[in-house]
Amino acid sequence: MSVYIFHILIMTGIFAILALSLNILAGFAGLVSLGHAAFFGIGAYLSSLLMINGLGFIPAFLLSGGITSILGLTLAMPALRVKDDYLAIVTLGFGIIMGLVFLNLEITGGPDGLTGIPPVRLLGKPLYSKPGFLGLVSGILALMIASTWMLKNSRIGRAWAAVRDNDTTASFMGINVYYYKTLAFIVSAFWAGLAGSLYAHYTAYINPHTFGMHTSIQILSMAVLGGLGSIAGSLIGAFLLTVLPEALRKLADYQDIFYGALLVALMVFRPQGIMGRVKITDIFGRKS
Amino acid sequence: MLFQQIINGLVAGSVYALVALGYTMIFGILGIVNFAQGEIYMFGAFGAILTLNATGSLALAIPAGILSACIVGLLLERFAFRPLRGMHPLIPLISAIGASIFLSSLARLMFGPEDRSFPIDFGFEGFNLFSAYITWLQLVIMAVSIIMMILLWLFMNMSRHGKAVRAVAMDSDAARLSGINVNRAYVIVFLLGSALSGVAGILMAIYYNSTSPGMGTLPGLKAFSAAILGGVGSIPGAIIGGLVLGIAENLGAAYISSNFKDAFAFIVLVLVLVIRPRGILGSGR
Repeated sequence: MSVYIFHILIMTGIFAILALSLNILAGFAGLVSLGHAAFFGIGAYLSSLLMINGLGFIPAFLLSGGITSILGLTLAMPALRVKDDYLAIVTLGFGIIMGLVFLNLEITGGPDGLTGIPPVRLLGKPLYSKPGFLGLVSGILALMIASTWMLKNSRIGRAWAAVRDNDTTASFMGINVYYYKTLAFIVSAFWAGLAGSLYAHYTAYINPHTFGMHTSIQILSMAVLGGLGSIAGSLIGAFLLTVLPEALRKLADYQDIFYGALLVALMVFRPQGIMGRVKITDIFGRKS
Repeated sequence: MLFQQIINGLVAGSVYALVALGYTMIFGILGIVNFAQGEIYMFGAFGAILTLNATGSLALAIPAGILSACIVGLLLERFAFRPLRGMHPLIPLISAIGASIFLSSLARLMFGPEDRSFPIDFGFEGFNLFSAYITWLQLVIMAVSIIMMILLWLFMNMSRHGKAVRAVAMDSDAARLSGINVNRAYVIVFLLGSALSGVAGILMAIYYNSTSPGMGTLPGLKAFSAAILGGVGSIPGAIIGGLVLGIAENLGAAYISSNFKDAFAFIVLVLVLVIRPRGILGSGR
């Protein structure tokens, strides 16, 4: 039983990193992505392939974050020519294309995915124990929370808020809108890539199904439920949406119905989420 | 080979065009993306096949399918979109994604996850035209799509309600001031868009002889790409976008890679948004 609880907590931690990384993009900078699971998947495949080919855990882990953030940069370049709902659709398209790439490349193992992914190795020893892995995930999550909090309250975070609230006004004030939006993509993709690496070495098996649209929506639901723009909100959202489906295992058939109804109900009744103080309608500004 | 692929592309493309018309009208009038359009398409197909199984009459099944698509569309308008009117477009977008997941999983619970085939054999005989083989079914699909498009054009341009809808799309406040019932215009647009998607769903269910809860997701997203490609808000644009996308997809699958068949629509989508976000016939936003 305790093994099971540790498993849930580890998954909560990984999804908290994902939800928070999407929150950096959507909540801080106002760029809603519907293809976030693609970054998660890129990190997972990269890290697995690097380690299968003989690299140590720490370089593979860091490289997976680094390379994913470079891909975030390359996505940002075309994607930022559009905004709002059009941007959401471009990222959705990116997510679907990446899903097909995972499914059809030889190096990713096609539909069967990758098996026998080596476990995390720290100080020369493989890390098999669940409490130990939970410690690793918590450490990385703590690092992320601290750095995200600092970012949010820094010059960069304030620039993001200005761009999110009104990018025209922000550019009149001398903020380089394009630069800050791209930066949000890079930071967000970096953390999502790291989450992918942790996930791959934890489960030792990945397949394209995990990184599809379903997961993108799940991550978005967590960030939106917790409240866009709130760090604590993303943690609460990730916790609730990982634990609730487990608690309601018997109702597994109803899980997706629940996600769908949750998103609609949140938008209609409480668009600001659990922790949000302001409505995201106000954050994003009303349609003129 | 080339001609055959173009014909196959035109058949798929005319169905994308029907669904794309729903997207483009709803976007044109409400400024929102109805992500659940593919699910309306799926409910249309299920309404038809379940009625056909129950009664054995195709003459009853087709109206029943269109009716179920319309009911789903009206419920969506009332519960997922009407409360969000006037908000930033991202809010109804997230709501629409939620509605789309809700509807496809509801269908999985109601109808079961398995694929259903049509109990009637429609036959796939056809004739040779130049180097291509065209089945009668393909011809019927294209003909039905063209008739639907003509009917839509007549409605939008000739009827009172159609003119009201166009007025609301141009400026809803001015339309309200001149005595047009704006709510009714929204309902009409959802009804029309849903009926067209329902017809598209039934046609595709017959064409591929399969009906499943997930059948609407990909065609829905592709039709959306078609609407953007043609220029969102433009009715002729949606038709051209659908046909171009259908042909591009079939040619891409035949000459580049069939594994990535489903990716071509989205590559086209991303390229259009990046190079010319207004689309082929769009007037800008």
